[in-house]
Amino acid sequence: MAAINIFHYLPGNSVIHRIDTRIKLVCMIMLSITTSLMGRVWDYLFLTIILLLFFWLSGMPVPRLLKELKYFHLLILMIIGIQAFSLPPAPGAFIPIPGFTLAGLKSGLLLGWRLVVIVIICLLFTGTTQISSLRRAVEWFLHFIPGLPAARIGTMFSLTFVIIPLIFDRAAEISDAQKARCVSGRKNPWQRISFMVFPLLRRTFEQADEMAMAMESRCYSEVYRKTAMKTSGYDWMALGFTALVCGFLFLL
Amino acid sequence: MNILETQNLTHIFPDDTIGIHDINLRFQAGEFTILSGTNGSGKTVLVKHFNGLLTPSGGRVLFEGKPITANLKYTRSSIGLVFQDSNNQIVGQTVAEDVAFGPENLGLSPTEVKRRVQKALTAVDLSHLANQRPYVLSGGQKRKLAIAGVLAMEPKIIIFDEPFTGLDYPGVRQVLQQILELHHNNHTIILITHELEKVLGHAHRIIVMDRGKVVMDGSPGKVIAGIENYGLKKPHGNVETMTWLQ
Repeated sequence: MAAINIFHYLPGNSVIHRIDTRIKLVCMIMLSITTSLMGRVWDYLFLTIILLLFFWLSGMPVPRLLKELKYFHLLILMIIGIQAFSLPPAPGAFIPIPGFTLAGLKSGLLLGWRLVVIVIICLLFTGTTQISSLRRAVEWFLHFIPGLPAARIGTMFSLTFVIIPLIFDRAAEISDAQKARCVSGRKNPWQRISFMVFPLLRRTFEQADEMAMAMESRCYSEVYRKTAMKTSGYDWMALGFTALVCGFLFLL
Repeated sequence: MNILETQNLTHIFPDDTIGIHDINLRFQAGEFTILSGTNGSGKTVLVKHFNGLLTPSGGRVLFEGKPITANLKYTRSSIGLVFQDSNNQIVGQTVAEDVAFGPENLGLSPTEVKRRVQKALTAVDLSHLANQRPYVLSGGQKRKLAIAGVLAMEPKIIIFDEPFTGLDYPGVRQVLQQILELHHNNHTIILITHELEKVLGHAHRIIVMDRGKVVMDGSPGKVIAGIENYGLKKPHGNVETMTWLQ
């Protein structure tokens, strides 16, 4: 089993878990837009504190999630490194390492921080939202647009989260099977990639086909059904608070 | 009255390969039937027709005397199909969410969905794992989850496609016990397997398929003598003792 637990629903009954998914989706979009428009350290600090507060309220295991973010750590370090060496130096400035600038480092740190904030927002959303609920929310938003297959898009959206760990599993199985048959002996990297990619694609499509049939046998239909999604005063309060945070950051 | 019936059912694939040919079968309510045959004999194609997942090239399938296409939603909620690979049947991120998939598709109220989920999970003894992620379950537990997903639709007939494949001895016993309990609770069971020694002692009837045709159909005692002619291994001993539950 692939140990990819990140961006997966973590069952719970916290205040964050209980927010109506439609409201949560709007809050996530608002926070993501705000994050991409911010540019000052204080903005990031303020938003990070607010998000950590949400995390604490959600009851999600922060140390475990941080551990699973190890690939993002690498990505963030790369972003900081590239940025630190990509800005032109100020005229007459002393540069101890060729190409390195303090302004670039600062810009890289802010970019990295932005990525961390966006990842935290996504973790908060996916970790506290059930797939079925996400599907219904997406369907609900899209069914207002005439001619758009809302149910199909909603299902595709939700199944993506289900099928990703399966693809990782398949990839690991295929890789192990090929290692066992000494694939490392082949020198041509493209050939090795093709041995990996084509069986993986074939098996993924076969599995998707079988999954579609299994869903059909359990009465799945692409007809949009009006499902009971109710918002409470508490949901509106959550939306109001998020709007306040975003507004505060814009005004400052 | 026959609960399920096929009339001259034929399925030909686009490349002209014959999947099944001129199948005429009748199933009584409460029957426990084993459908056996070698790989590629057409067993899975046949049961997919029972669920309306394939369109016949000829003939038809009747459920409670009416063509299944007359009300496909009713047919699918009444004839549950447990697929061979449980992983392909799992669509939820938690056990409870996956079981709720079918009832939600039926447009039931959230209260009813919750009731059915609890009932189905209790029936397969997975209630304690309701909030667990499905992919961390063992093979036997995944198979039970697939059964729960079907049970939540409250079907009359449950079809199992090779339910013992890939399971260890305790896993087979767990799943077999589950199937027998469902049968005792008045579900009609159709079970695809070629591992007859594990289950034949519980069946009322065995149907053997070969190259898309029904070649034998009758009580296990009568059919077992000739199964070796169709590539199946004849288990040792009396038919009554052919079970892994003893």
